Amino acid sequence: MSDAFITETELDGAEDGVLAGKTIAIKDNISTEGVRTTCGSAMLEDYVPPYDATVVERVHEAGATIVGKANMDEFGMGTTTETSFVGPTDNPAAPGHVPGGSSGGSAAAVAAGDADLALGSDTGGSIRCPAAFCGVVGIKPTYGLVSRYGLIAYANSLEQIGPLAPTVSEAASLLDVIAGPDDRDATTRADPGEGSYADAADGSVDGMTIGVPTQLVEGADKGVREAFESAIESLEAQGATTTEVDLPSVEQAVEAYYVIAMSEASSNLARYDGVRYGHKSDADGNWNESFAQTRSEGFGEEVKRRILLGTYALSAGYHDKYYAKAQQARDWIKQDFDRVLAEVDVLASPTMPVPPFELGESLDDPLALYLADANTVPVNLADLPAISVPAGETDGLPVGLQLVGPAFGERTIISAASALE
Amino acid sequence: MTAQTVQQGELVTVIGLEVHVQLETETKIFCGCSTGDADEPNEHVCPVCLGLPGALPVVNEAAVEAAVKIGKAIDAEIPQETRFHRKNYYYPDLPKNFQITQYDEPICQSGELEVRVEGERRPIEIERAHLEEDPGSLQHVGGGGGIDSAEYTLIDYNRAGTPLMEIVTAPDFRSPAEVRAFLAELEEVLEYLGVFDAERDGSLRVDANLSIVEAAEADENGELSTEALESANRTEVKNISSHKGAEKALAYEETRQKNAIQRGRVVEQETRHWDESRGITVSMRSKAEEKDYRYFEEADIPPLQVAHWREEIEIPELPRARRERFREEYALDEEAASKLTSTKQVADFYEDLASEFDPDLAATWVADELLGELNYRDMAITELEDRLDEVARLVELVATDEITAKNAKEIVLRTMLDEGAAPDAIVEAEGLGKTDEGEVQAAVEAAIADNPDAVADYAEGDDGAINFLVGQVMQATGGSADPGTVNQLLRAELDD
Ligand SMILES: [Zn+2]
Repeated sequence: MSDAFITETELDGAEDGVLAGKTIAIKDNISTEGVRTTCGSAMLEDYVPPYDATVVERVHEAGATIVGKANMDEFGMGTTTETSFVGPTDNPAAPGHVPGGSSGGSAAAVAAGDADLALGSDTGGSIRCPAAFCGVVGIKPTYGLVSRYGLIAYANSLEQIGPLAPTVSEAASLLDVIAGPDDRDATTRADPGEGSYADAADGSVDGMTIGVPTQLVEGADKGVREAFESAIESLEAQGATTTEVDLPSVEQAVEAYYVIAMSEASSNLARYDGVRYGHKSDADGNWNESFAQTRSEGFGEEVKRRILLGTYALSAGYHDKYYAKAQQARDWIKQDFDRVLAEVDVLASPTMPVPPFELGESLDDPLALYLADANTVPVNLADLPAISVPAGETDGLPVGLQLVGPAFGERTIISAASALE
Repeated sequence: MTAQTVQQGELVTVIGLEVHVQLETETKIFCGCSTGDADEPNEHVCPVCLGLPGALPVVNEAAVEAAVKIGKAIDAEIPQETRFHRKNYYYPDLPKNFQITQYDEPICQSGELEVRVEGERRPIEIERAHLEEDPGSLQHVGGGGGIDSAEYTLIDYNRAGTPLMEIVTAPDFRSPAEVRAFLAELEEVLEYLGVFDAERDGSLRVDANLSIVEAAEADENGELSTEALESANRTEVKNISSHKGAEKALAYEETRQKNAIQRGRVVEQETRHWDESRGITVSMRSKAEEKDYRYFEEADIPPLQVAHWREEIEIPELPRARRERFREEYALDEEAASKLTSTKQVADFYEDLASEFDPDLAATWVADELLGELNYRDMAITELEDRLDEVARLVELVATDEITAKNAKEIVLRTMLDEGAAPDAIVEAEGLGKTDEGEVQAAVEAAIADNPDAVADYAEGDDGAINFLVGQVMQATGGSADPGTVNQLLRAELDD
């Protein structure tokens, strides 16, 4: 079995449909009826959902065959897919390196050809980072474009399900299938734009204005910067105009992101108590002790760290200092993006400031890992759409370029990204 | 804050309430599961109300509508926008280990409900009322029967997700009796609105804060200051589930605290549990251990725009207004008006009758005869829902003089209630139709002929003798003659 998957499946979709004949990998935090959905956690090792996520219903109806539940960082908390309870996934585009995370299995399955397409989820870069590290395309949609019904929550105000694929147009076709309002997710909204996303992948960037936020380029590795700059030159050669823009708010993004994501996680993950489903401790004791023991056994280190920090950030006496402040930063970031996106069509930056880490390299330094999310997390805080598209290599390791658009500006970023192929 | 003057040296009882009422909606507040009675535990459940991973809440508009109705009924401010929050705590009846509720932007704020105690009307301020989801229910089996002492505990999630409205009052109550009157008034209003079913088990749950304040704390107007109210240690009494229970629990707590103060002891600030069967409150935990619920916004539910609902949603005439209208329109006294507006169904029924028959007669029949007989049988008018036309027919029989009021009440109504028969059938079977004039006249003449002693007594001025003769005629006609008419006929014969 490919190490991209936690569980292999063969769930055939409808006879015909736009995805008929295509195979698809589904990140293992997206509920599949009758097929265990572990979230990469021992807590849910044997959890079999009694219902399908809305996106699973939609890819079924579109004719895709689900070939596996893809590996991921436990509950989506990671940048390397190494915190999964089943162990890491190798990077098919750079063996010996991590595939990125948290949707590392989804990106690796596509990069290795184990699946034609994949669904991932992106809370702070979890689709774009592995897409960049594995040399494939990944789209993080505008918040509310894709239903989250059935997506096991990590940080529900930030995350979206999105497609991963070898090409922009294939990713866009999958987005066409999964996008659109859902009665079961009250945060979904109809995209006011017209035309399919697939049709937007027309390879055209002529006349487009691309803003390059200095703050998102300065901190990147030299090799990453060089690959990024030559990709930008290629877009300019095809008729795009580029301009430097200032996004001062992003300096606060990583801190704000982790406070909000961990706070929400502390609440979202409270339900894993062993009463109704999932791991249950055999230890004696009253209900409180049983809950504590179950959670202590079922969760991995990174998950525990984030739950504890999130609980702290929401506590009386700290709520205003951390959680409320992070929300203020989020508002500022939104306004900052709105301001620059009123002047340019899209924003471009390296997706990740660094190339893929070697397997095992970064496990002991969570802070360094958190900082690697600097270019992706602002987009989630601002609820905006973004795409990561391959942009060359550095020392044989894939580099991704990120394009960010205004809310429901998926067609614009898809169009610009397709010009790099 | 209610102005109530207090005397120096007095001990004043101060009570505030948190009332949880279950809203009557077809489905739960965040999913499509039924709120109806279930045959089995965990029958009305789905991924959402079980808190399964990945399930998301979607607000039931019927619950919001009910909340807006309540807001209008208590004259509350309903904001432009209202939000939901998560209240985070672990407990085995809570599927997600957080409860979706409303925190700083509730759907109703600053309302008021007037209570009547001993003929005096007092407004009680309602600080806020908000929507939230009910947890599941626990059944502790074996052992000591409590959550920590039972052998094991069963969980039923049928109740989980039932819409609740939490109504929070200011500390405006000064006696347990006022609390009882408030709860009765509140229930009446909620039932009028059609958002509440008092008969339903667990539909009303009350937590009460009670403290004893020394009247010396009162200002020159005899009013208690906010500081005085807040300085006194208070206890929170939980597990109250009825009006009577509230009055008893708070009377117990009031006495307990007053005794402590009079003996020079300090009242502990704590949470106490009302033990209905033992009739006492027992300490649960001290307030110092109060939990930190880490409230924050529920991002799965976008803010609801509710201002326009206030304009669009209509509410029926409320008990108090209807009571006043009844007094004016039908010239009823306070007691009759109050009885006739006790539930919407009673009031509607009365108005139907009053439009066809004499309002006075209708009032007697509904307020005294019907409600009296129902009360005697411990029945509610809802049990007669499908037979109100039969009661109306009975009133018609009386109004059109076809049977006597006495027979109508003592025989027909009672038989209707006890045996389920229709009024015409009972009149027929019992031969209660009023006898014709000739027959009555003949019975009058016969009574005079058969009772010369009574006739003689009457002639000598003993007016009581006439009653004896009326009784004889009534007996002869099987009670179907009208006693007044018989009286007149007798006098006419005797005075001739
Ligand atoms: Zn349900």
